[in-house]
Amino acid sequence: MAVITVDHLRKTYRDVVAVDDLSFDVEAGEIFGILGPNGAGKTTTVECVQGLRHPDGGTMQVLGLDPTTQGAQLRQRIGSQLQDSALPGRLRVAESIELFAAFAHRPVDCDELLARWRLDDQRGQAFDSLSGGQRQRLFIALAFVNSPELVFLDELTQGLDPQARRATWELIREIRQGGTTVVLVTHFMDEAEHLCDRVAVVDGGKVVALDTPQGLIDGLGLPSVVRFTTSEADLDWLEKIDGVETVARLGDAVEIRGTGPVLALVASELVAHGIIPLDLRVERPTVEDAFLTLTGGDIRS
Amino acid sequence: MSTMGGYRAMTRTEFRLFRREPFSVVFVLAFPLMMMVLLAAVFGNKKTDAHTVQNGMLIWRGVTPANYYTAASVAVIVAALGLMTLPMSLDSYRERGILRRFHASSISAPTLVSAILTLALVTFVAGTVVMAVVARFAYHAMLPQDVLGVVAALVVGTATFGAIGLLLATLLRTSRSAQGIGLLLFFALWLISGTAPPRAVLPAGLRDIGGLLPLTHLVTAIQNPWFGFGWSGTDLAVLAAWAVAAGVPALWLFRWD
Repeated sequence: MAVITVDHLRKTYRDVVAVDDLSFDVEAGEIFGILGPNGAGKTTTVECVQGLRHPDGGTMQVLGLDPTTQGAQLRQRIGSQLQDSALPGRLRVAESIELFAAFAHRPVDCDELLARWRLDDQRGQAFDSLSGGQRQRLFIALAFVNSPELVFLDELTQGLDPQARRATWELIREIRQGGTTVVLVTHFMDEAEHLCDRVAVVDGGKVVALDTPQGLIDGLGLPSVVRFTTSEADLDWLEKIDGVETVARLGDAVEIRGTGPVLALVASELVAHGIIPLDLRVERPTVEDAFLTLTGGDIRS
Repeated sequence: MSTMGGYRAMTRTEFRLFRREPFSVVFVLAFPLMMMVLLAAVFGNKKTDAHTVQNGMLIWRGVTPANYYTAASVAVIVAALGLMTLPMSLDSYRERGILRRFHASSISAPTLVSAILTLALVTFVAGTVVMAVVARFAYHAMLPQDVLGVVAALVVGTATFGAIGLLLATLLRTSRSAQGIGLLLFFALWLISGTAPPRAVLPAGLRDIGGLLPLTHLVTAIQNPWFGFGWSGTDLAVLAAWAVAAGVPALWLFRWD
């Protein structure tokens, strides 16, 4: 069952096209990633879907509601972690949770929420005095204050240290186990790869690919890279192996690009030729490789 | 939870924030108080002045200059907060993304504005008490004759200048422009609304313009019960009309980001 249906969404700011023609569905209970370079229209898209912006064209349905006309109703049922938002500087952590809980139809227990997002020690601390990571955790906590059926997390782990990132991913998985659908906006490839069930790659205001992280990689037929070192001079036979596309050599270092079970085939041929390198290894294509291929490789800012 | 619960939580929050940063209203309270003290010192508290006439009007409305300025300066507090503090703080909330955060969490504009205006009204009542006490000790000025009438005028004045402040915050968009324009409007109103020179000494043209503007009516709406002249229905009605005329478009056009 789809909890979000977006059909030909379009949004322009004066003469700048932020979202050109964007369509996707999000299924109940999945972690759905929206991945794209800066300025691709990711944030505008999720803000439209939450009813925070009015699109210029297209239709949307979220939890059976139309965000453009039923935004207030919708916002009671969704949680939202926004980019570039803030709280009054002197407002304290526990107070801000209590404030937002007062507007929720189904508020969660504030103490439990603070404990879950490790904000126990910051309860009495003012927003202005929080570190970047603490603010981020507070905003994530606020997204869950109304027991949402669907949450939007825009740059979930921005400003978090590596441990906090992993811990946050674990909590997001837990939340999904509880039945909440998660929409994750990110430009972190590892986050999309580790966390998302499906990923929409957005570029220039359009969805350029939509698949599971592995599906994105497989669909593009991206090569694996096999590396090893050897002093053996004649390696021309390597190019005849099934699936091998290129063989490059720099001194003793050899780099083979190819698709399919290239590692296994190369390994058995090496052994057959009496070459048994200690450092034989393979790099499989990642979501990052898929992303760079799909978005033309240039990082816009 | 009910809308009422949200209003209570938001109001409690506004009071907490105010308690932690009370200096934001220093100008709003100190400027009118200082002007009352200075203007009363300049024009004195002589009973003979009460009936001086100029341009066919009683200059001091039948009371002494010190009494005149005590009640008029209470209106200045309301105007200063509505024209300067309110649009500036709302615009800075918008610039920092605080309004976006509120909006995404089902906090409505009427709830936020009601909480802000509740705090404003309490500030005005406190400012009025300070004004009356200082004038009493410094100039033996009279205390409000009809307290309920003064409070009623403050309530209506809060709605009027709250609505105007909200409209300014909506139209101006940035806290810098709100500061500039708010300051300009405030001093223009202050000079032609009978809060600095009495209206009787103004040229006819300026008096007519002032007569259309809300601060003039707030001054009379506060002065009349203060001096025991009774409630001024006309002034309260004009203030209410201003509140609707500014408040409806302000809420209609209100932008969260």
